[in-house]
Amino acid sequence: MMKQAGSSNIFSLKSRLKRLKRDTNRWSIFTLAIVLFIALPVIAIALKLLEGPGETWWHLVDNLLADYIGNSFFLIFTCSFLVLVMGVGTAWLVARFEFPFRKQLEWLLILPLAIPSYIVAYAYAGVFDYGGSLELILRWLSLEFVRIDIMNKFGLAFVLSISLFPYVYVSSRAFFLNQAGNLLEASTMLGVGEFKSFFRLMLPLARPAIIAGLILVLMEVLNDYGAAQYFGVNTFTTGIFRAWFSLEEPETAVYLSALLIFIVFTLILFEKWQRKNIRVTGNKASGRNHRKSGAKPMQWFKFFLVLTPVILGFIIPVGQLIYWAFLTAEKVFDLDFILLSLQSFGIALITSLVTVLFATLLIYFAKWSSINGIKSISRLGILGYAIPGAVVAIGIMIPTLAFDKWFINTMDTVFGVKTGFLFNGTLVALVYAYSVRFLAVAYNPIESTALKVSNSIPDSSKMLGVGNFKTFWKIEFPMIKTGILSAVILVFIDVLKELPLTLILKPFHINTLAVKAFEYASDEMVMEAAIPSLFIIFTATIPVIFLNRLLIKE
Amino acid sequence: MKKTLVGLLALTLMFSCKNSEEKNENSESEKQEVNVYTHRHYESDQELFKKFEEETGITVNVINANADELIQKMSMEGEQSPADVLITVDAGRLERAKSSDLLQAVSSEILEETIPSHLKDADNYWFGLTKRARVIAYAKDRIDESELSTYEDLASDKWNDKLLIRSSGNIYNQSLMASIMVHNGDEEAKKWAKAVVENMARAPKGNDRDQVKAVVAGEGDLAIVNTYYIGKMLNSEDPEEVKAGEEIKLFFPNQDGRGTHINVSGAGVAKYAPNKENAIKFIEFLISEDAQKIFAHSNYEYPVNEAVAPAALLQEWGEFKEDTLNLSKLGENNKKAVMLFDEAGWK
Repeated sequence: MMKQAGSSNIFSLKSRLKRLKRDTNRWSIFTLAIVLFIALPVIAIALKLLEGPGETWWHLVDNLLADYIGNSFFLIFTCSFLVLVMGVGTAWLVARFEFPFRKQLEWLLILPLAIPSYIVAYAYAGVFDYGGSLELILRWLSLEFVRIDIMNKFGLAFVLSISLFPYVYVSSRAFFLNQAGNLLEASTMLGVGEFKSFFRLMLPLARPAIIAGLILVLMEVLNDYGAAQYFGVNTFTTGIFRAWFSLEEPETAVYLSALLIFIVFTLILFEKWQRKNIRVTGNKASGRNHRKSGAKPMQWFKFFLVLTPVILGFIIPVGQLIYWAFLTAEKVFDLDFILLSLQSFGIALITSLVTVLFATLLIYFAKWSSINGIKSISRLGILGYAIPGAVVAIGIMIPTLAFDKWFINTMDTVFGVKTGFLFNGTLVALVYAYSVRFLAVAYNPIESTALKVSNSIPDSSKMLGVGNFKTFWKIEFPMIKTGILSAVILVFIDVLKELPLTLILKPFHINTLAVKAFEYASDEMVMEAAIPSLFIIFTATIPVIFLNRLLIKE
Repeated sequence: MKKTLVGLLALTLMFSCKNSEEKNENSESEKQEVNVYTHRHYESDQELFKKFEEETGITVNVINANADELIQKMSMEGEQSPADVLITVDAGRLERAKSSDLLQAVSSEILEETIPSHLKDADNYWFGLTKRARVIAYAKDRIDESELSTYEDLASDKWNDKLLIRSSGNIYNQSLMASIMVHNGDEEAKKWAKAVVENMARAPKGNDRDQVKAVVAGEGDLAIVNTYYIGKMLNSEDPEEVKAGEEIKLFFPNQDGRGTHINVSGAGVAKYAPNKENAIKFIEFLISEDAQKIFAHSNYEYPVNEAVAPAALLQEWGEFKEDTLNLSKLGENNKKAVMLFDEAGWK
């Protein structure tokens, strides 16, 4: 070994290859296969980069890029701040204190996730509009109406934060509930006050959980098209659509996507880097989490603090939607909505199961592989979340269409059978695309629970000759069950809300609620979009409540 | 819980199987169908498709999406594309589909005779179905009709801080810009756009209805909007929208010159249409008098079939002279228009 270090590069390369060969097991190969499968659309898009940007690239750089970068970074910083304050703050309050209606608020805080953010944007525009709900209420109270303009980048940051903060709330609350008990007991025993132990002890420890949630939020923020477009804020994603469709240059759009992916990748690396400093494993909370009660007025104060984001993120937008639904019910509602809801529900369920299966396999195959660095490669699988849905759709169509066309030709020439597309225009391509897009949503909660399982138990099981799968099934799976179920539910909700990808890839006979809502909204029939939106929210609310139960039980 | 989950899964599978079965039946018994890629998401269209199915026995399969995405989808699917008909809400994108080699020429006496020549492609690759005019909505208490004249006049200093118009990402603005480029030249058009940006009462945002509401709220005095949105506002379920619609009046610009800028929602037959005959039948049906009545009355668009009168509300607005520039020109100049917008700083 000593000798090797001093020898020539060629030699060390050789020995490295040897080591690689030695360490390569089937798990490494399986991991690579899954990563390749999931990253295929991303690679297909990346290959397009080689073709060079379109001729409008420099036009775009000269006239628009500064605006895109400025606005996107403004959103990243403002949303991070708002989301952290609301998400972590509420998580801390509900995990540590007892106050009126705490139990109800705990699941109400997740509900804003159930509303697509572009619908929240429309609803808020409706509230503050001329002749909007706020004016009507003020008029009824015979008060002066001061018009607040929400359709700008500040309003956009607010709308996105208020509809996305639950990602941070969910991940940090899980941490506070699981880990906080013991540590806090210790710190109170040492006479450290509540505030101090929050900032000095809990916050640093909760960082990985908080950041994991924050990354999801930021990817959604960067990815938003509907709200940004309506509020007139130019971001990377609106730019991608402009380059692609208005300037008619997909090549230029791909270059913009690449820049966007670069930003997201930097964010992910940043998270990885900061995670390295802290490792939280083992130590499952043994004692029960005791909530402090405190004086009654303080309890009510906390109640109102926690209630505020629920009002802003759920009650106001849903209230506006219900008002609109009430106005348009006669015109819009029919029995088809029930069928539509069932279809959306079914697609979302199938997709979430498939995606979670991929994520779990990816995490555990990488774990069982002995090659260092395969873990970093496995993280490539979550890149799809950073890419706008419409671009993912194109990324999916490039390889699957190539296959489909080959398939049709072969069947025709070799067997003389006329067939149709195997993937495109079927549920298979749609589910595949969703999995690529939402793998990150599933990956994070599973990974963070998997990290907490210490290696010693599965290791001893394996030493006793029990295979990887059996060990996983008997020992690890029960321990990470909550992570897996949260993943299923989060993906489920995301799929239910997903729009651009569904629009492009959905089969002829299938429709979803989000598509229905969009059809109305895109044609300036925002009010008529209220009923399908409410159905989305209603369908998503059930799993949200279930998710909450699950997290509490744990 | 497990049982419910399994049950739901089974239910979903049943649904998907049912769908694929239907498809198989289609191919076996050679059931007639037509596959429509459409950007029009109106209730009236669904009504029309049902009517077509009843009259002809041809099943209408629909994919709803943005025309840009539909064009992209068709070009990727290539020869195997299932699309028979492409419907868009503007002429620009039909022209783009034509130049991307996605449509085919169609010979149909009905189509050629019914549709005025400036509202269809000269080589019969696409046909206008309905018309919409891009007009000025003004605050009737603050502006006198005599102050208004042309699109070009919107660049004049007197409208400083008074103008409301949506973003340049919108296709109707792009088409308007393209028409100004064709009539006045690129340089003039860019100057015009710059001056209009100077005159804007606020940064562009929202949709056409929002511009009208902003006029009523006093943020500006003039808004540039499509006619049928006003029709829809006046017939809205929201009493506040109806009120807003009543506070403004419409002005059709350039009546003394080339006429008011119009656009069409139109359709073309896909190049590789597997059901070409049905596709032609379908488009012919859409410009038939019965179908055009539904378009005109439920969606406040102007019918292309001159035998059909527009809705009563549109008749109230009066007849107007329309710009007879061939609409293909809008598509040809679309990309250039967007670039000029960017250079003029129109967000």
